[in-house]
Amino acid sequence: MRKCHLNTCPVGIATQNPELRKLFTGDPQHIVNFFTFIAMELREIMAELGFRTINEMVGKAKTLKVRTDLDHWKLQSLDLSPILYEREVNSNVGIYHQFDQDHELENILDRKLIADWKAGKTEVSYPIINIDRSAGAMLSYEISLKHKAKGLPTDSFNVNFTGSAGQSFGVFLAKGVKFNLEGEANDYVGKGLSGGKIVIKPPRESTFVPHENIIIGNVAFYGATSGRAFINGLGGERFCVRNSGAETVVEGVGDHGCEYMTGGKVIILGNVGKNFAAGMSGGVAYAFNPNDDFAINCNTEMVDIDQPDTNDLADVKSMVEEHLAETNSKMASYILNDWEALSKYFIKVMPHDMKRVLAEQKQQEEKVA
Amino acid sequence: MGQIDGFLKFNRELPSSRSPQERINDSEEIYLPFADEKTKTQAARCMDCGVPFCHSGCPLGNQIPDFNDAVFKEDWKEAYDILTSTNNFPEFTGRICPAPCEASCVLSINKNPVAIEHIEKSIIEKAFENGWVVPKTSDKTGKKVAVVGSGPAGMAAAAQLSKVGHEVTVFERDEVVGGLLRIGIPDFKLDKHVVERRVEILEKQGVTFKTNTNVGVDITASELVKEFDATVLCGGSTIPRDIPIPGRELKGIHFAMKFLGQQNRRVAGRDIKTEEILATGKNVLVIGGGDTGSDCVGTSNRHKAKSVTQIELLSKPPTDRTVKNPWPEWPMVVRTSTSHDEGCERDWAILTKEFIGNDKGELTGVKLVNIEWNEKGFTEIEGSEQIIPCELVLIAAGFVHPQKEGMLEQLGVEIDNRGNVIATEEEYLTSVKSVFAAGDMRRGQSLVVWAISEGREAARQVDEYLMGKSVLESKSASFFELG
Repeated sequence: MRKCHLNTCPVGIATQNPELRKLFTGDPQHIVNFFTFIAMELREIMAELGFRTINEMVGKAKTLKVRTDLDHWKLQSLDLSPILYEREVNSNVGIYHQFDQDHELENILDRKLIADWKAGKTEVSYPIINIDRSAGAMLSYEISLKHKAKGLPTDSFNVNFTGSAGQSFGVFLAKGVKFNLEGEANDYVGKGLSGGKIVIKPPRESTFVPHENIIIGNVAFYGATSGRAFINGLGGERFCVRNSGAETVVEGVGDHGCEYMTGGKVIILGNVGKNFAAGMSGGVAYAFNPNDDFAINCNTEMVDIDQPDTNDLADVKSMVEEHLAETNSKMASYILNDWEALSKYFIKVMPHDMKRVLAEQKQQEEKVA
Repeated sequence: MGQIDGFLKFNRELPSSRSPQERINDSEEIYLPFADEKTKTQAARCMDCGVPFCHSGCPLGNQIPDFNDAVFKEDWKEAYDILTSTNNFPEFTGRICPAPCEASCVLSINKNPVAIEHIEKSIIEKAFENGWVVPKTSDKTGKKVAVVGSGPAGMAAAAQLSKVGHEVTVFERDEVVGGLLRIGIPDFKLDKHVVERRVEILEKQGVTFKTNTNVGVDITASELVKEFDATVLCGGSTIPRDIPIPGRELKGIHFAMKFLGQQNRRVAGRDIKTEEILATGKNVLVIGGGDTGSDCVGTSNRHKAKSVTQIELLSKPPTDRTVKNPWPEWPMVVRTSTSHDEGCERDWAILTKEFIGNDKGELTGVKLVNIEWNEKGFTEIEGSEQIIPCELVLIAAGFVHPQKEGMLEQLGVEIDNRGNVIATEEEYLTSVKSVFAAGDMRRGQSLVVWAISEGREAARQVDEYLMGKSVLESKSASFFELG
């Protein structure tokens, strides 16, 4: 069955429907049996190999044998010897977990941000380097602890960074916080973005063309729920995957952009990679498509490619204007300078089911009115 | 998928049948009409599981959730296209298939399965009504193919091979086309007009049927092989299993198929040729608890037999699946056919010991004994012997293998230890060049749906053999694109 998401699981497993749950024939004792068997079989194998504990087994690759009875074609070019290589180590070298790793969380960047915010500062500046991971996560925790989902008033705590941000820059960033990065960022920018605003632009002394260069890594805005972001450069693969509410402007994205997106808005001022909008069931994306080459990269299983209407374009224009104001993007400036002529090159991507629902709603409203 | 929660809202419902009291007076099919709207509701019960076990349950690989969905959307033409992309004769399987698809339907884990067979029949009848069932032809290849036997395997092979432009001749030793579909399966289960209607389509498609032509007698097998570029043997598994016990020579003991075949000829108003076997006024004993036995029960009741008893050597199967026979396996449970509903005694674990006759050599009774099954086999239960009055015994104990004398011997094809023609399931080619085999002749006695499957698969192999490549559908190469 592949119906786990529909609440119609016919054997009563993945469902909350009481009628269907009655059909579930499982029993906690089955799980107990299952694990007992696993433990028993594991014990038998361990005894056969001469191990008393799991810890003794860690790293003992020599005890593994490669099966010779498989002739799957995929195995033919596979050399497993590097995996089965067993390194001889001195007895004083631990090969299994013996003491906890120190994450040095007491010294991380967020401690400074939290102190600044608590001290009532509204604008601060810090350099950032790629070992500064998850910048903003603990700050957002403190803010949401105090202000809950409401967060802070818009742009009430601004942080200007310069440098190369580590993974998950601006992750879960709370509402009212604005991160302004001059430099570049690693993967997972704005993951789970929760109302905050992220602006990323190249260093002012840089000489490269922003809309031809990747400025943030892969999987940016993964699962973002709200907030805004303006990226003056290209994003990597899976930009805005599972985004459910964030509104972003970017100058181009890699493969699988907007994959599984369920809400929010994405404006792309350049090219997209393969498989754009695969599994996209909500939200809207606009792409600037002057060379008419967008369609070949778009997965239209769930979405339609349409011409934006006047309202759509007004919306796009205001977002691009904000992008220009925040990042001084040359691409934004180029498009806005000749808006009358260039705006016609925007295309709109929306899931067909969502389009249908919106149309039905509109009809309903008109009926009521 | 039509309706996500259709299976929660609607119960399985099938067309009702005419009452047993009414229907045993005629030989017409027994089901009453069923509204399209109701069939649509039945199609809505399909869950489109994602991993449709019905596909693998069906020997033809029918794309069941897809045609169910089309029926739900009332796009009957689409449903017809999907259905016939894997099945040449849904009008047969929709009537007489035991529906292994339904046994493997995911819904049947804990509810009644989707009424797949009924939906199948509805689709094809709709297609005939609307004139969508038309001959399919293409440019002639100039190749000549002989098909021996006009049962479901032979008909399927002929349908496929003529579709791609081969000149197909089907040889049939009986006076009519259809094999057991025509002379075997009772009219009340499969109206012979349904077979004739399909034969007409095939004739229009360019297939030549030569009836009353017994290959091996009227024409030698070697002549046939010489004259045709390829030959497909679809002669069926025709030798019945006998019960060689004392009294077997008595008058009144017949093989089921002889009895059933006579009835088909009688209904069609054709000459029966030999001495008539009638159950009228007799105590009838049917030996064999399978479908053929059940057909004998239904036919005996239509003859107005005095009593009908059906016995089976094996133990009575359970009413529900056992732990050892879980879904999606074929359920080994006791089945009650519509013929049983018309009245008969049934018993299991019974061994037939002796046929007893009078001084005129006529059967008057049968000595039976109850048996008990164990790991080694069975033992007779002491003191359980009884003699029941009986004037007609119908032996429905299955078929052992194809007939060797005549065609198979002349060809010299290799035979396996079960007596079937050796031809692999990949190539369907026998040990003799250009000679293929399909259906019961190759796999041993089986279902109509398997015969159609074999005919189709063999046709693709024949086409490849003749042309070097093939565009015919097969289970490993479907050409149907879902819209």
